[in-house]
Amino acid sequence: MSTDRHATRITRRLMLGQTLGFSAALLAACTQAPAPSKPAEPAKPAAPAPTTAPVPTAAPAAAKPTEAPPPASGQAAPAAAAPAKPAEAPKPAEAAKPTAAPAQAAAKPGAPGVLRSTDPNPKRGGKATFAFSVTTNHFDIHQAGGPAAVLWHTYNNLVRLDPTDGLKTIIPDLAESYEISGNGTIYTFKLRQGVKWHDGTDFTADDILATFNRIIKPPDGMVSAFKPRFGALKSVEAPDKMTVKMTLTEPRAYFLELLTTESGMVYSKKSLDENNQDLRKVIAPGTGAYILKEHKVGERWLLEKNPNYWDKELPYIDSLEFIHAPQWSDRGTAILSNQADISWNVSKETYEEGQKRGNEIGTFMVPGAGAYQIYFNCAKKPFDDARVRRACHLALSRQDLFEAFKTQEPLNYTRYMSHGFEFAMSPDDVLKQPGYRADKKEDIEQAKKLLAEAGLADGLKNVVILTASVGPHAQTLTPATQAILKQNLGVESTIKAVERAVLNDELRGGQWDLSLNTIGMPLYDPTLGWIDYFQTGAANNLGKYSNPKFDEMLKQLDSEQDPSKRKTMFREMEDFLDQESPWMTIGFTSHLHMWKKYLKGMPFERVRLSWGKTETMWVDK
Amino acid sequence: MHLYILRRLLIAIPTLIGVTLLIFAAMRVLPGDPFATIEGESIGTIQLTPEQIAKARASLGLDRPYHVQYLAWIGDVLKGNLGTSFWRGEPLSELILRRAPITIQIALMAVLLSWIIGLPVGMLSATRRNTWLDYLSRTFVTLFQAIPSFFLGMLVILIGILYFSWRPSLTIVYFWDDPYKNLEMTIGPAMALGLGLGAFIARIARSSTLEVLGEDYVRTARAKGLGDRWILIRHVLKNALLPVVTVSGLALGGLIGGSVAVERAFGVPGLGLALVMAVAERDWMLIQNLALFYGLVFVLVNLLVDVSYAWIDPRIRYG
Repeated sequence: MSTDRHATRITRRLMLGQTLGFSAALLAACTQAPAPSKPAEPAKPAAPAPTTAPVPTAAPAAAKPTEAPPPASGQAAPAAAAPAKPAEAPKPAEAAKPTAAPAQAAAKPGAPGVLRSTDPNPKRGGKATFAFSVTTNHFDIHQAGGPAAVLWHTYNNLVRLDPTDGLKTIIPDLAESYEISGNGTIYTFKLRQGVKWHDGTDFTADDILATFNRIIKPPDGMVSAFKPRFGALKSVEAPDKMTVKMTLTEPRAYFLELLTTESGMVYSKKSLDENNQDLRKVIAPGTGAYILKEHKVGERWLLEKNPNYWDKELPYIDSLEFIHAPQWSDRGTAILSNQADISWNVSKETYEEGQKRGNEIGTFMVPGAGAYQIYFNCAKKPFDDARVRRACHLALSRQDLFEAFKTQEPLNYTRYMSHGFEFAMSPDDVLKQPGYRADKKEDIEQAKKLLAEAGLADGLKNVVILTASVGPHAQTLTPATQAILKQNLGVESTIKAVERAVLNDELRGGQWDLSLNTIGMPLYDPTLGWIDYFQTGAANNLGKYSNPKFDEMLKQLDSEQDPSKRKTMFREMEDFLDQESPWMTIGFTSHLHMWKKYLKGMPFERVRLSWGKTETMWVDK
Repeated sequence: MHLYILRRLLIAIPTLIGVTLLIFAAMRVLPGDPFATIEGESIGTIQLTPEQIAKARASLGLDRPYHVQYLAWIGDVLKGNLGTSFWRGEPLSELILRRAPITIQIALMAVLLSWIIGLPVGMLSATRRNTWLDYLSRTFVTLFQAIPSFFLGMLVILIGILYFSWRPSLTIVYFWDDPYKNLEMTIGPAMALGLGLGAFIARIARSSTLEVLGEDYVRTARAKGLGDRWILIRHVLKNALLPVVTVSGLALGGLIGGSVAVERAFGVPGLGLALVMAVAERDWMLIQNLALFYGLVFVLVNLLVDVSYAWIDPRIRYG
């Protein structure tokens, strides 16, 4: 072959360059996180407890509801169906009312669980478009798949949180009513009549049995992601075709709340049997108000109204579209550019732009169930000594970390539970606590004293801070933590950044001292989360913290039902944790809701995160 | 010529086998596998025990020896079956076919844009060598070569949102379905990619034009009284085009395979984003097939470039 010499030279050089460029891009992609990590993304953490409400935070004015939903319409369900007052902006819930659900006929306005628009004269038809991350590894939610925020619209739970009161109250869903035995160990659910699966088969108690038995007694090869959450569920029985009895080994104050989360979503026995108990590659039919119409991987989902939904009045909207917008900023710009109508969490800058357009866009900050925190490796010297851990806790300035992170995500002054939980200490009170308060003088003196007592008067050296290689927390909070501990306590440290996919292996390997990470509580009630993070030998106790006294406290808390006793226990245990410092909490986060104001039918000012069902929503345009 | 093309296609086979081996090995060597994503993403929520991980791996056939996994994949590809996602089970050929038109369209538009900008600027710069026009064009060329394409993308989105409440579509709209919306979706990424490439093309065009302007046949043309414009169009352009075609062809392959950053900046659901998604999810099967697809594109584009030489310059013969 003869050809131009110049061209040949360029070809070879560029071929090499392009090949290397592609390889570099691929490798770079390999080292990236799946998406910017945020604690408490709804696909994985559960929809939280019924007894929470936003607590005033140090957040800007945006935290206030931009517009209180108008009063319920004449067509709205009577008070029994919507026990809260949707006309009000969310405020601390008095308490969940999980046990007051008498049996009534299905789909009659006023019957428990029968929902109606909170705005007058709901319009039917149209489409609503959501923007958030809608990819998933697989579709079996009980095997840690999803996306629950999309698929939930096609399924139901036995009980649910009421979308018409800002998710304050637990109401019946597939159960028409339920009873809890006096000792709190037996839950009896009367199932709703006339419910059909999308494939036309009848919903019965067999479906509940198949669903929950698969979770608590998983077949070989199945990864039952939620089995630990249901650790107290001893048995599930069906006294008759439309009654289910769940028996617990011990009472659990949060059990009903757990059933409202994706952990309690119900699959059909038929689907499970037909697919050998494995729904990872199958989008199984549900009983929900919407039916799957189309799914384009990593791009969009389209759901259409279920014409045979058990409540003939709902849903109002004909179709729901979910477009894939993994970046917080893409979600916000999708709304600002009219490509989407709503997102459950947008970036701060787009949220602020939305606030400027308050005549057409609603915004609201919702307390999250996830946090940023710094684990100690409690199995390794010198952090096996509680005095050393507490010294770091005292020296760490949350104020400085918040300042470093202020452009990323709203953080809140919290201890070991979400500020959205009803028993959480108020931010003002948190800020009076050693370690959290702004004035560090006394805390630093105390910290130095503790280090000296631990034989480390010369300071801490060669500390390894393990973190993920990408993500705003890794790129901002980790170096800020390093600098603060150096400045306030003279800690000499190095940062070890690893790919997210191997972070767990690194954590288990134990060659680290501190690790900055994110956590997501399964519920706003922190009991399950604390068991998972702080109990000796627990799966998520990555810092290998162990204290028999705290284990005993956890055991008592787990089986205690009395709210006032629980409140006292929570406070005592947080004090204990501050002394022991198995980790340093930086702060629980808030999510930034943004929506078009022509969406009506339910308040978007919610007391908790839940990206799931929206049957009473309608489009006023 | 036909024999040459056949020979090149045969040579492509070991190249592609090399690609498959490399990508297969890379996926196994890199830390993390499909289960690592579940674990890594779910710290604090779902933690699998080593036994659970082993069970789940086995259920997807990931416990088989590597050579068995590799041969099974290649066997499927040879049967025309790109396989299914490790997790979701959807056919990968469907995903690639849906997204490829958008990525290819953006790449073609970027190359076209780069020609529209780069060729005239480069030739003008060469014919007005060392004048203020040359200095100005070289300044812009350097500037646009230095600005990363994703940064341009972010600027386009920022200005679009703040001043026009506009951003490119986050979902796929094909040209044949809605030309306006399609262009709205693709023009931004094409511009972000095309401006940088255009600057590069301008540089190549300038140097090759300068080279051609010094050739004997140009002097002869001038001697026989042809006007400068005519010489430029009739004699210089075609001869100066060869390196430009080479660069453009390779760039096209690169743009199809490497538009990850721009697709991410614009949120365009093309193949680049699919690759990012696949890597994030450690969906090895999708990554492997995309790499194979990109390898195939490179081979074909290179072949087209080489064949086009003969069309541009009749002195080049293949035998």
